Amino acid sequence: MDRARLIQAIAGVVGPAYVVSDPAELKVYETDGLTIFKATPDVVVLPKNVAEVAEVVRLCARERIPFVPRGAGTGLSGGALALEGGVVIGLNRMNRVLEVDYANQRAVIEPGLVNIWLTNQVSPDGYYYAPDPASQTACSVGGNVAENSGGPHCLKYGVTTNHVLGLEIVLASGEIVDVGGWTPDPPGYDLTGVFVGSEGTFGIVTKIVVRLLKRPEAVKTMMLVFETIADASATVSGIIGRGIIPAAIEMMDRLSIEAVEKGTHAGYPTDAGSVLLVELDGPRAEVEALTDPVIAVGRDNRMREARVAKDDAERVLLWKGRKAAFAAMGQISPAYYVQDGVIPRTQLLKILGEIDALSQKYGLRVANVFHAGDGNLHPLILYDDRVEGEVERAEAMGAETMERCIAVGGSITGEHGVGLEKRDFMPLMYTPADLEAMMKLKRVWNPEGLLNPGKIFPTSKSCVEVGQAGKPRDIGYMPHRIEQEGKAQRF
Amino acid sequence: MTLELLKTLEGIVGPKHLLADGEVHRYTVDGVRPSMAVFPGNVDEVSAVLEACSKAGAAVVPWGGGVHMGLGGVPKKVDVVLGLGRLNQVLDYEPGDMTSTVQAGMVLSVYQAHLSRQRQFLGLDPPGATRATIGGTLAANASGPRRLRYGTARDLLIGLRVVDAAGTVTKGGAKVVKNVTGYDMNKLYVGSLGTLGVIVEATFRLYPIPACERTWVAAFSTAAKARRVVAKILDSPLVPSALELLNEAAAREVGRKLGATSEVHGVVLAVAVASVPEAVEAQIRTAQAMAGEADEHEVLEGQEHDAFWAAVRDFDPGNGSAVVLKASVLLDKAAEAMEYGERLAAQHGLHVAVISEAGTGILRFYFRADDGTDGATRLAEVVDPLRGFALQAKGSLVVLHAPVAVKKRVDVWGPPGKGFALMRGLKEQFDPYNILSPGRFVQGL
Repeated sequence: MDRARLIQAIAGVVGPAYVVSDPAELKVYETDGLTIFKATPDVVVLPKNVAEVAEVVRLCARERIPFVPRGAGTGLSGGALALEGGVVIGLNRMNRVLEVDYANQRAVIEPGLVNIWLTNQVSPDGYYYAPDPASQTACSVGGNVAENSGGPHCLKYGVTTNHVLGLEIVLASGEIVDVGGWTPDPPGYDLTGVFVGSEGTFGIVTKIVVRLLKRPEAVKTMMLVFETIADASATVSGIIGRGIIPAAIEMMDRLSIEAVEKGTHAGYPTDAGSVLLVELDGPRAEVEALTDPVIAVGRDNRMREARVAKDDAERVLLWKGRKAAFAAMGQISPAYYVQDGVIPRTQLLKILGEIDALSQKYGLRVANVFHAGDGNLHPLILYDDRVEGEVERAEAMGAETMERCIAVGGSITGEHGVGLEKRDFMPLMYTPADLEAMMKLKRVWNPEGLLNPGKIFPTSKSCVEVGQAGKPRDIGYMPHRIEQEGKAQRF
Repeated sequence: MTLELLKTLEGIVGPKHLLADGEVHRYTVDGVRPSMAVFPGNVDEVSAVLEACSKAGAAVVPWGGGVHMGLGGVPKKVDVVLGLGRLNQVLDYEPGDMTSTVQAGMVLSVYQAHLSRQRQFLGLDPPGATRATIGGTLAANASGPRRLRYGTARDLLIGLRVVDAAGTVTKGGAKVVKNVTGYDMNKLYVGSLGTLGVIVEATFRLYPIPACERTWVAAFSTAAKARRVVAKILDSPLVPSALELLNEAAAREVGRKLGATSEVHGVVLAVAVASVPEAVEAQIRTAQAMAGEADEHEVLEGQEHDAFWAAVRDFDPGNGSAVVLKASVLLDKAAEAMEYGERLAAQHGLHVAVISEAGTGILRFYFRADDGTDGATRLAEVVDPLRGFALQAKGSLVVLHAPVAVKKRVDVWGPPGKGFALMRGLKEQFDPYNILSPGRFVQGL
């Protein structure tokens, strides 16, 4: 089927108003939140309901055309790119809250719903939806399901998979199935659990059953200010070591603070070496009882100052600084490349030292802003894309950062996903047998490989070579296979 | 074939770790007796055993402590029971990371004792912890009252190592609490009852042991009254670590076990709260204020508290003779499900104790015939209607334990839903020759 006939056929399903085929308009869909990669779909379709999604999928399956689901396009691993062209199925118009049931602590929503909208809708009644990625004012819950997104508060409340109980899915064949449901422990294999985090390679979610939580009685947010990263790290360990699990512990280093202050004026001390944002929540008596012990741990570690938010406005301002951190990098650098490695918490100081050394080695500044409580790092490698070779250096440094995370027993991605970006690093973490087990799963859900092709799994062994000592060699710059084939380009 | 396989397996594990004589009857699964039971001492041996069984086409059933062997359908065949009891070491424990890796054959209570030295624990409190192994707990997706606070195995398992039917060893996850590298293989194996692979190692996220835990116990004359209090608690900022509703029969059974002198009347609600002492006190006061309709109530702490929860967790009236059903229903249907179970019992001349996790919608029904007969027909007759109720309440019902005579009359799992074709696909991919626990899972997988 040629492109013109494909467009016509799809328009027949959803109406011409919801088909994007103009080259200028398609540019919006060339990239996601990770702007290093670009790939242009042949056509984008914006269905309104599950029947339309299923019909488009059946059409693609019949004509053997690749298709890729897309939410808000805020992903940070290139997961929503149409690497082999074909059809992007944008779920943005399916954005309703279908049902809210407080007595059963559930909501049923459509995948295009913006994350924060759900909480906005239920918060007047004292409820909220817990997973809160930093992009929550833009990202869609369908995208969160695909990526198994986290957020600052997942230290205490868990990530997306812990809050999703059931899904309606359009399978790669176009068949519509329900998995899981409203109640826990359905009989059979945990299809819902397996699906969450499958990065759009298992099916297209058209309905999501989520858990709603009751708002905690009290919330206390405090900023602990330190001269050094080491003192801040020791404080994180100290807090956890005392058996306290805050709702969130976020860390920012000097460069991040500088960027955030320039961007948001949230009142962060620009002369500090590091700040911790610690949030306690729960029953009021518990929050009150734990506040002093948290501050005491800071004092034991040479904390300079503790600022406790006195009201909601101050609390929101402190969080505004943290949540705007990525965007604020624009204040201090033309471009940045965010990493997402995870390490065991006790390795924090060691790995931060190594990242610092890599920063020297590659001659690139690094701003560190991350979820310290669960060891999920977000080193932001700052580079200037106008300077020749800096993009490649940033990528090489990113690669080496991932290797260091794995070397201490960690993971290459905590919440952003593998997608296109990290697929060639999978062999660093998993053996061929481990990857083959994952492939078996994929074969069940996506037997023809038409659904979001080219993601998660390494495509060629040339990009990362594991040497004799099992240590990956310095990869430097190497174009992805898809770049060589002209299917994607960097800019 | 059997003799040849026996020799091969003996060569792998050594004659001391293989049973093929009369003793093997102890490893009978729902009346199906294996030819042999083999007990490998390390992952390599597990792998070699599975490879050999695979080549011989021998059906293998993994076995931990045997606690959850009541779950599942009557197996199509059992040639070899694969005992994991010798893989019983803690491989890694870093208290500062609150993560730990343990071998599948370690007994849960032994593991908890190990962790408690650092004032941490694994947030799983299923029945039979003094015999149940880590692997068995995961394979059965067993849980207990504290899942309300800490979740279930799917929430706590962050990494695992599995040996597949052909003997290939694979891992999933990592030693970090947050990880989305590749597919979430952990979820695949939790609750898969040894039908996709044999779990040999697990890595968990742990929690600190709370400074203080107490339980408020209150009796209500009717389930309806208790239900109103439960709804108030669930809609409040209280954070109970467990919230259980016991029908009169269950409450009396627990009372007897604890040596209570007076008989309970009505339905008992137990609300456990764990935190710093001042917050525990404040929350229990709040709960009490919500329960104007309680007939009598008291606060349990210390040994009394621990003994109460042990009795609830390990509830086993009739010492294994009962038919135990686990229903999962909407929260606002849990009390009704309890009453419906009682009505069914009365209609069929049966006795039923019911323990409901009022905060999660999970209920356990313990049916038994009181007249000295085995009552298999009558016991089997309650399964369908009760399942019908659970399905109406957007839930499910699974037989956790039943005599073979009852199992043969019922569907132990119930309908697996529209996703069944995917489940069958998974089974075919991971166990193409159908040698892992054949017939024990949903729809005979």
